[in-house]
Amino acid sequence: MAQYDESSQKLTIKLVYYGPALSGKTTNLMRLHDILTPDMKGELMIMETADDRTLFFDLLPLGFRAPSGLLIKFKVYTVPGQVIHDSTRKAVLSRADGVVFVADSQRTQSVNNGESFENLAANAARVGLDFQQLPLVVQFNKRDLPAILTEQEILERWEKAPWPVLFSSALTGEGIIETFKTLLTAVYLTCDRLYRLQSDHGLDCDSFIAQTLGGSLSSARG
Amino acid sequence: MSDFQSEADFERDLNLDELLKGIDKSRLVSALNVLLDTMVDIMDDTGASLIGDNDSKTVDKVPLHGELEPVGFLQTRTAVPPERLRAAADMMQLILRCNARYLLSSDIHLQTQRDDFEELQRRNVALQASEARYKNLSESLEIRVKEQVKTIEKAHLKLYRNEKQASVGRLAAGVAHEVNNPLGFIRSNVATAVSYLESFYEFNTLIDNGASSEELRKVWEGRELPLLLDDFKDLMNESLEGLDRIAKIVIALKGFSRIDQTETERADIDTIVRQICQVAESQWQQKAKLVLDLSSETPIQCQSAQLGQVVYGLLGNAVDAIEKTGIIRIRTSVRNGVVVLEVQDNGRGISETVLPHVFEPFFTTKEVGQGTGLGLTVCHDIVKEHGGTIDIVSQIGKGTRVTVNLPVQNAIQHSKES
Repeated sequence: MAQYDESSQKLTIKLVYYGPALSGKTTNLMRLHDILTPDMKGELMIMETADDRTLFFDLLPLGFRAPSGLLIKFKVYTVPGQVIHDSTRKAVLSRADGVVFVADSQRTQSVNNGESFENLAANAARVGLDFQQLPLVVQFNKRDLPAILTEQEILERWEKAPWPVLFSSALTGEGIIETFKTLLTAVYLTCDRLYRLQSDHGLDCDSFIAQTLGGSLSSARG
Repeated sequence: MSDFQSEADFERDLNLDELLKGIDKSRLVSALNVLLDTMVDIMDDTGASLIGDNDSKTVDKVPLHGELEPVGFLQTRTAVPPERLRAAADMMQLILRCNARYLLSSDIHLQTQRDDFEELQRRNVALQASEARYKNLSESLEIRVKEQVKTIEKAHLKLYRNEKQASVGRLAAGVAHEVNNPLGFIRSNVATAVSYLESFYEFNTLIDNGASSEELRKVWEGRELPLLLDDFKDLMNESLEGLDRIAKIVIALKGFSRIDQTETERADIDTIVRQICQVAESQWQQKAKLVLDLSSETPIQCQSAQLGQVVYGLLGNAVDAIEKTGIIRIRTSVRNGVVVLEVQDNGRGISETVLPHVFEPFFTTKEVGQGTGLGLTVCHDIVKEHGGTIDIVSQIGKGTRVTVNLPVQNAIQHSKES
């Protein structure tokens, strides 16, 4: 749940990129760091091992001020995808306000995707998140690779699921912003309900998204 | 505990003091002093001095950022070219970032270690509890199994005894039929005889009244009193025969109802067979022709009531095996000091798959409620008690022959349940 600090007028929103190992979670964050231009953008902190695998997590801090003066601060994390780091995944997922599940589109990765998604649901339950209420976006990444599932196949498989499914190529940046925007829309709804962003802070959904993405970008891609 | 938790929460915002943890501040400030060629101070975002002097005069000031917001300021006491000041702040931020990476890593490491440890402890407690449960269970299991076995054995024994009693009951039902038959004609005979007496009483009244012999003779012949007298005699003789038959049945029944008998007596199997056939006649007479070929004539030391039960049981099975009509042969003989009893029918026979099981307790091919599955078990046990053997040969559609071998010289065991 987002952390609201009244004394320093700050709302901290936690977003988590979850998914199987090597599906492109860190690359998603790197592209966000490259593309987004909010008023406040921290440096991307990447904690990786020698072979470029995420060890603990990556962290991208973003922020802007609402008309009321409230600082909206995002902490965007990735989890380590490797199976052995489950305790870390659980710790990072704890108190998340929104999740992007980054799946690998390659045909050979379907089982890994499924196991990781089950792991997400299980860990959400363990850390006390209501998985049915949690803002969640499913992103099928690596659309630039050969031997991938077709969009139709993927949409058919996820037809009965309640979550939006998007397609991306994190390496080229395609679909990265769309995924992030879709998640922000869902997150805004829950935050507005809890912290009255619209009525108390003069922040509607469109400007919430526009300010998070950064001025030039939101008009260009909006 | 809560302090420890907040300490290890990797998500908390680190303040400047924390970000400078582990860094040699005097070396840092002297390096900055030399690089900027002035005295520097470092304040946090609340205005508290972390390095240098809070009260000294500040000329230039540049913010130091944490993740996103300023966490403090780098201040100089004399003027410094802005690009040099920014470069110094940038370098400091690089140092702070490196430290932040370390702090975040150690915090999440601590947090996951603690969570894992707590999880392991929880599992350990759960495992110990379940181990204790299983230990308890395994201890009580043996006792409970023994109790169950005892209960089942008791139930079996009860059923087994019930089967013996039930066969006596069936015998009694048959006997009632056998007794009713002669009883019926004896009653009818006696009633007729009583009605004859009326005529003789009338004749007697004539005598008392002093009738002449002429008159008496007239009445004697006119009423056909001589014929009545002859018939009276016949009726009585017939009734006596019926009574003898009843007496025989009662004697036989008395023999076979003593199933609890433990003492042995000398009895020959031929007599037992004859008595059983007599009292059980109603059971077979509708369906089967019974052919007796009895030539053992050798008394053996036995419990005759028990052997009667064997004959009765085998005869009953033979009758049941016959679907419409058939022949049942009972043969006895003596061969090499062994009394042999054979009961043979030409009924439906027993299949090969069923045959090996027929002596097993509670095995039955009859409809539920029709047989207990104990009949042959009881026969087998009785024969065994008498030191004998029992064998069955059968062919589907041809019939079945049961052979019982009883040694003549046999000290019967007295051990069986009583």
